[in-house]
Amino acid sequence: MRIPTPVITLIAGVALFAGLLAASVHQVSDKKAALAAASASAAASTSASTAASTGATATASAAQPSAAGASATTALSPSASPTASRGFVVPPHANYVGKVQGNLGSVAVVVHDTFAIAYFCNGSTQEAWLKGTPHDGKLSMTGKNHATLTANYALGHARGTVVVDGIAHVFSIIAVHRPSGLFESIAIVRGATVKAGWIVLADGTQVGSLEPDSTSADPAAQTAPKLDLSTLTAQDGSTTLHATPIDAETGSGF
Amino acid sequence: MAAQFEPPAPTRLEPVQPATSAGLLVVPALVGCLVALTLGIYGRLHSPTGVAVDIAGFSSPGTVKAWLASAAVVFALVQVGSSLVMYGKVPWIAAPSWIGGLHRWSGRIAFILTVPVVVHCLYALGFQTYNARVLVHSIAGCLFFGTFTVKMLSLTRRGMPAWVLPVLGGAVFALLVLLWFTSAFWFFSVFGFKR
Repeated sequence: MRIPTPVITLIAGVALFAGLLAASVHQVSDKKAALAAASASAAASTSASTAASTGATATASAAQPSAAGASATTALSPSASPTASRGFVVPPHANYVGKVQGNLGSVAVVVHDTFAIAYFCNGSTQEAWLKGTPHDGKLSMTGKNHATLTANYALGHARGTVVVDGIAHVFSIIAVHRPSGLFESIAIVRGATVKAGWIVLADGTQVGSLEPDSTSADPAAQTAPKLDLSTLTAQDGSTTLHATPIDAETGSGF
Repeated sequence: MAAQFEPPAPTRLEPVQPATSAGLLVVPALVGCLVALTLGIYGRLHSPTGVAVDIAGFSSPGTVKAWLASAAVVFALVQVGSSLVMYGKVPWIAAPSWIGGLHRWSGRIAFILTVPVVVHCLYALGFQTYNARVLVHSIAGCLFFGTFTVKMLSLTRRGMPAWVLPVLGGAVFALLVLLWFTSAFWFFSVFGFKR
């Protein structure tokens, strides 16, 4: 029996759909494996030295995976020892920042013991604050307006996806120390809660957005005024915004 | 016009009755509903992963989808133009012999271009309702593939009323443009023309 051509078109579409869906399922499991492999080398070098001491040697070995970002250093606190599990070396404290794929914005992920804060912004209308609980080197975070972030993190780097306003932003970012990192400012201006966030990248460039009414269920955002990193203030019209670092090492902002 | 073609074989004379001809739409419509429902239910039940398969040559998943959808809309415009010519609605253009081929192939390309987009939408993002844009987009996405299925299956049936194909084709085009406005157009207006 001859199959009509419109039906062949439909069959071709279904076949492509099924193929891409299968490839997507495969790729998601592949990415997890790739991160595990990347962390495995860090785990091997760390475990060799963990018995002797934790602080300095762990920091030294952690510099390996962050080779992608020349100016980056890991945000591992000297007092805390990393835990290795499933081949991942999971730092208890870490600040990760970087641009998302396609330069559509920047993302900061700050892990402090049992709590994590993340911020995505494009320096304009697209932004989201997210909260979550780290578990075994994995993060699953949520924010207002159905923003979600899933990531795997290890010594020196984190990778994952943040979905904001229905757009999936893929990121692979590095660990940083202050003055790079995430900064937040909350002020009450004429009865409205003004919340601003800035992400300072490893090269010192910053991007920030500001919610003029952050207590609303679906806060709108605009470009934030430039953050002065020496005084941690920003001038929003007549209002001076005072920023606080959200810092994994000191626990500031948590 | 294939729909008005009557084979001259006298042994199998099947008189076309109005009731029968409209009834020919029942099976394609049911299959189309099934497609739309399947996509919607999958998009709602599957927990979104945020990622799906990468396509080379673009900087991010969002830009891939925006450009593929835009290309599909361009081919869909060719669809509308070629069908107007085929139906003789453009008086100063006589339908050339290749117009049917142009219509079929522009449609096939447009449809195939939308498939990677819907895979990412369904697998990475899911059927969402949290604001007007994503709600309209989610519903239109399911309806688009459902309506497209009805249209393609209707092409295989002889004896449909003459209005069926123009109405279905118009609906598919309108849904695609709605999808484009609630996604690619919005994406470009927020992030600029990024590749």
